[in-house]
Amino acid sequence: MSEVTRDSSETPAGATDTTMVADDLTAAREAAADVPPELVAQSLGQYLRASWARVRGGNSGVLPVVLAIVVVAISFQIENSKFLSAQNLVNLFEQSTIYMLLAIAEIFALLLGEIDLSVGLIMGLGSVVVAELVQPSGANLPWWAAIIVTLLLCCAVGAFQGTLVARLKMPSFIVTLGGLLILEGVAIIVLGGGLVGIGNAQYKNELVLYNIFNGAFNTTVSWILLAVVLGATGAGLWLRDARKRRHGLEAAPPSLTALKIVLMAVAGIGLVAICNVNRAHVGTIEGVPYIIPIVLVVLGASTVLLQRTRFGRYVYAIGGNAEAARRAGVSLTSIRTWCFVLSALISGIAGVLFASWQVSLTTNIIKAANSYVLLAVAAAVIGGTSLFGGRGKTIHGVLGGLVIGGIYNGLYLLGVSSQWIDVVVAAVLIAAAFIDVLSRRGAPRQA
Amino acid sequence: MSSDRDVPVAADSGETPDPGETPDPGRTSAETTATEMMEAGTTAPDLTAAPAPAAAAEVRELVAQSLGQYLRAWWLKVRSGDSGVLPVLLAMVVVAVVFQIITPQHAFLRPSNLVYIFGLSTVYMVLAIAETLVLLIAEIDLSVGAVALIGGVIAFKLVQQPGAGWPWWAAIIAALVACGVFGALQGMVTARLKIPSFVVTLAGFLLFSGILIVVLGGADGSVNLNTSAFNQRVIYDLVQGVIPPAASWVILAVVVVASGASLWLRTARRRRQGLVAPPMSVTAIRIALVAIVGVVVVVVCNVNRGTSLKSVQGVPWVIPIVLVVLGIWTLVLGRIRFGRYLYAIGGNPEAARRAGVSLAGIRTWAFALCSATAGFGGILLGSFFYGEYSTNTADPGQLVLYTVAAAVIGGVSLFGGRGKALHGVLGGLLIGGIAYGVSLLNLGSLSTPLQYILPGGVLLAAVLIDVLSRRGSGSVTRV
Repeated sequence: MSEVTRDSSETPAGATDTTMVADDLTAAREAAADVPPELVAQSLGQYLRASWARVRGGNSGVLPVVLAIVVVAISFQIENSKFLSAQNLVNLFEQSTIYMLLAIAEIFALLLGEIDLSVGLIMGLGSVVVAELVQPSGANLPWWAAIIVTLLLCCAVGAFQGTLVARLKMPSFIVTLGGLLILEGVAIIVLGGGLVGIGNAQYKNELVLYNIFNGAFNTTVSWILLAVVLGATGAGLWLRDARKRRHGLEAAPPSLTALKIVLMAVAGIGLVAICNVNRAHVGTIEGVPYIIPIVLVVLGASTVLLQRTRFGRYVYAIGGNAEAARRAGVSLTSIRTWCFVLSALISGIAGVLFASWQVSLTTNIIKAANSYVLLAVAAAVIGGTSLFGGRGKTIHGVLGGLVIGGIYNGLYLLGVSSQWIDVVVAAVLIAAAFIDVLSRRGAPRQA
Repeated sequence: MSSDRDVPVAADSGETPDPGETPDPGRTSAETTATEMMEAGTTAPDLTAAPAPAAAAEVRELVAQSLGQYLRAWWLKVRSGDSGVLPVLLAMVVVAVVFQIITPQHAFLRPSNLVYIFGLSTVYMVLAIAETLVLLIAEIDLSVGAVALIGGVIAFKLVQQPGAGWPWWAAIIAALVACGVFGALQGMVTARLKIPSFVVTLAGFLLFSGILIVVLGGADGSVNLNTSAFNQRVIYDLVQGVIPPAASWVILAVVVVASGASLWLRTARRRRQGLVAPPMSVTAIRIALVAIVGVVVVVVCNVNRGTSLKSVQGVPWVIPIVLVVLGIWTLVLGRIRFGRYLYAIGGNPEAARRAGVSLAGIRTWAFALCSATAGFGGILLGSFFYGEYSTNTADPGQLVLYTVAAAVIGGVSLFGGRGKALHGVLGGLLIGGIAYGVSLLNLGSLSTPLQYILPGGVLLAAVLIDVLSRRGSGSVTRV
């Protein structure tokens, strides 16, 4: 779980970069008493104390979800010793991947104070389209072209829904409800005969698609990649903080930066070690699955977009107070539309993975894709994203997705039937929403 | 949009805005008098601070002295954005004409199909009425589908023999109470913990879908009604049973005379006491319309729609049943304090709170009553599917989408404070008509996807109209 340690993203970009106009908007939301601890702390001890004060003030960040992951892990491990085995952990991550990506997609809408109920079926449509496009008897596109066409199509769907929400000011919840009905119909039409598969290893394009979810780096390459990633991010983190300190800007103390890098390395090594265990019952399956870097890239790109760019600051500004953002000159329509496009794009990526995971797609699988949206919202909220807009990060989606995946996986291992798993997930969703409401109530700005 | 006072308006009190807050430069002396009269008729405290679009036109409608004035006032109201049931009626005409033209052998408007569509639609109608209660207070209930199915299964289970063997009425009451408790739980979480209703009911949807399978006895469980046992037969007949043709006519005559007389006497009493009332001619036209619709329905239902072996004719029981549900909710929403409070909360919760309305209490009740009504819809659903309930009978997710679509298409606003039970009934009929019309088209592989695409498109169109009409009325919904 290397994501846990990537705490640098905890700092709202708007608060660190004091030159931008939109800062005031974000800062207003974050409240004066709620300054990120990295900014005021001079030593590690101070930092920890400041973090604790912040948690107590209602801004608990990823803490609740990390605690939830620990609780889920410990309780299932006690019930079934297989839960934390290397085989099951990789399996669990694979099951969580779709939840994670859809939760990231959902967060783009939630940050605005909107909701996108169609992510599950954009994923469904994307999976059907990409599978149809590589069929040798049909379009027979190369795999990369099929993926690009699919993602463009999903973006177009997102742009359409975003336009209805942003320009015509229709409630997003209804637009995407109507949208998901229409998409469900369109996906069934595209599916045509009711079945499409990518499991034929004779065709290179189908094989590549199949391997996206099911393939893995070999063990040596996994270690080399880890070393490269750790070296690059560690150096980047260290140099950035050092540069900030040199210029007299507020930055985390060196000990904190070092601690973060060490934690990241430990998590990364643990991850690769787990993935490099042979997890096949017969034969050999080992190495880091491709989906782990894919999720990390989506997470990294969306984090940079939301935390480090003007676009991201505008998203938080609109979620905090749309009217204030408008008066500050933010174009509400274009930012809102783009958020729906990005949400649909990430759902489309999830769709490609979904096709690869399911191997053959049927009408029933497409209908079931709808239920993923509930879990995506649950994952985002459990992760710590607010339903009321303006608060949340894409890392929350990844962590929340892991909780949901863990619950499903653990209960399934225990032999619990699927309807009771749904009941548990529902209870977790309510609990997360309640925490969200409570933390809003505790926040000083919430009169 | 909320009606918060005892405005003595014919059937329209649910939509009467507070005239006192309406800036109306073009007000005539007649209207001022009417306003004063309405003030005099006020009994409840003033709760409204809601923007009152089309208020001026509505007042004109109230004080119209002749049919011409009334129609002009009505037309003004429509033009100012408060179009009421007009769009859904137009949509129904369009749907009927289009399907009549494009269905094979022009079968859509055959009496047998019309009766079948009505049976199918009753489920959506009752669920849409239920959803309306929650939409009125600007909340949403996404669990109605799952709760409805649980209600149906509970009632079906309780009349089983051997089994619980309850009498049919006790089974129905138990099912409604159980559903009401589910709704009250969700309402309490929403109202007291202040968690957004769509999240609570989203979780409720998951929760109750799970419980539904448990109640059914596993993923392949099912429950059937045995039509030879009396109590099971009664529930089976809720949708499947018919009133004999002769009795249909008698009942129609009784209903038309009773409702016509009460409408006439009520408006006459109003006029006598100097209260606002529509002109005599309008009352007469309303009664005539009720009579015409009733006669048409009975004529259509009395055509033999059976096979050459077994004749089936007469009005299905479900028609009077739905009318009773509609009547109860129309009365609750239009005539009692609870209904006024719903509109008040939907219009402006803060104003309602300051006027002494218990927001948490009313909201909890709204969710409880929504779920209880949905439970009745679930019983009708099982009866419609020939008394069979299994996990494949209906998809709770799709059911809730159709329900919200039906309510919004019917004219209930998503933003709270505007809507009537009648809107749910009309919207449900439209959705049912579309769903069945598509299945008549013999589109082969296209018919399944169209079952999704058409309601989705209609839902978007309905919301677009809702949004545009609010914009036209000058009230800003959001930035």
